[in-house]
Amino acid sequence: MPTMNLTQTMVMGLIQVVAVLILIFVMVPLLTFAERKVIGYIQVRLGATRTAGGHVGITGALNRGMWAMGKVPMLSILRGLPVFVADILKLILKEDIIPAKAERSVFTLAPIISVLAAFGVFSAIAFYPGALFTFPARFPIVGGLPFMGFISDVNVGVLYILALSSVGVYGIVLGAWASNSKYPLLGGLRSAAQIISYEVPLTLSLLTPVLLAGSLNFKDLSVRLSTGADMHWLAIFPLFVGFFVYTTCGFAETNRTPFDLPEAETELVAGFHTEYSGMKFGFFYLAEYTNMIVVSCFASAFFLGGYYLLPFGLQRFIPASVPFLGQPSILFFFLKVFTILFAFLWVRATVPRYRYDQLMDVGWKYLLPLTLVNLFAAALIRFAF
Amino acid sequence: MEHLLVTIGRDMFAIFGVLALCGGIFMVAAKSAVHSVLGFLFTMLCVAGCFLSLDAEFLGMAQILVYAGGIVVLFLFVVMLVELSKYKEKGVFQLQTRSAVVAVVIGAAVFIGVFRNLLFGVASSEALVLRPELAQGLNVAQQNAQAVSRGLFSDYLLPFEILSVILLVALVGAVVLAKRERV
Repeated sequence: MPTMNLTQTMVMGLIQVVAVLILIFVMVPLLTFAERKVIGYIQVRLGATRTAGGHVGITGALNRGMWAMGKVPMLSILRGLPVFVADILKLILKEDIIPAKAERSVFTLAPIISVLAAFGVFSAIAFYPGALFTFPARFPIVGGLPFMGFISDVNVGVLYILALSSVGVYGIVLGAWASNSKYPLLGGLRSAAQIISYEVPLTLSLLTPVLLAGSLNFKDLSVRLSTGADMHWLAIFPLFVGFFVYTTCGFAETNRTPFDLPEAETELVAGFHTEYSGMKFGFFYLAEYTNMIVVSCFASAFFLGGYYLLPFGLQRFIPASVPFLGQPSILFFFLKVFTILFAFLWVRATVPRYRYDQLMDVGWKYLLPLTLVNLFAAALIRFAF
Repeated sequence: MEHLLVTIGRDMFAIFGVLALCGGIFMVAAKSAVHSVLGFLFTMLCVAGCFLSLDAEFLGMAQILVYAGGIVVLFLFVVMLVELSKYKEKGVFQLQTRSAVVAVVIGAAVFIGVFRNLLFGVASSEALVLRPELAQGLNVAQQNAQAVSRGLFSDYLLPFEILSVILLVALVGAVVLAKRERV
């Protein structure tokens, strides 16, 4: 990499940050759209899979024509799009209410903390281990500089991401407390207990790949795990168990079904964000979906092989000389991320919510011992071979 | 460039230190208990910033992970549940003031007694004193985490283990107290 002066470093940093922000702001709305459609198809919800615009104007004429032909108008991939657009417009345009008895400062601070913690995590996530492309020399400041697949190369990246996501819980707890209302408080308490409980197995399950590969740097760890460099083939078993535990805890950390007790709407109205409306609610929404993307990035980077094709260190059977399949690619990474995101939606559509005591049982009595045994097994493999 | 980074690092340490103190003062002075916890959280994050500006990124991240992510959340959890106004009326806090002052004075005396050499003596110029053959391993450590673990698990293993036993004692004590109340 050519050495950069201060201006170049800052401009490049800015460009990379903006690129990742654009990525987030494209992926999150698409994810909500996908969620409506996937759940619509699985649970036969008609609105999300059929809505296709009105009966007036040019599109209306098209729609009427297609209805007349006995077909559902518009391409099936675009059906439900009006609902999605209306959803986003509602979020942005809705009146922003702060309840009279709420603690104003903390009430405003809470969604900010949530979003900051969720977005900050991306500065250490590597979407690709090297340079994606190089700016042509004709660009004024950044000419000849590589556009890397990550914002910064933190050498304790995994810890950084875990630390920031553990700060995200304050958004929920403080928002719940500041609302000064019963249901949010109950939701917030549930959330605090749940996230603290599941953070233990989550962190321990991530220790398995860290132990096996011996690095805390996001891209180093991912590359070492997927190419299986100096890793015994037995390591695939602890990695597989680790993947299972990590995704389960990831579901709990992001408050997704079957662990969505903080916002169990049949019991708690809407949980911790009952009193929130408008874009403040939108921020919580944004943070939740961003966290889903983060969990997917983690799972795909550390367990599913990251930038390489095959998961769990199986990549060593494809020599690096094979043109496309043997090389790292950002496509493979996003393929895995989208697969896990789809699993998120799939589980939400099929698995019912846990009861509170069951939730705690699963966390403390099953997942925690399982991860400890798993970690011990990983240590044994590392020690013996 | 290099020069600028070095000065920024030094200045950042001072800035984060002052901010941490401000957070601490806010924590003591705040009327609402939740605001106190927020001040505490801010202080913890600033201390992590101090570590980061000293190139101790592992310690900084561990600070956020353990304190901000775990312990302060538990504080918040308790503070939200307990109605502190009830205790204010009973004057529990006022009763404790005298003994608290005594405890603080004793604590400060012990702290200065233990760390006098480290703070004002010759030892303050050396960050970590290891056996020479271990110090060599420390120098080749490429990552912060490696350096810390080599220090902890080689020369300082016994103090480290004793510390964890103390933590365990606190844990067991908490369980015993909670159980006794319920019966």
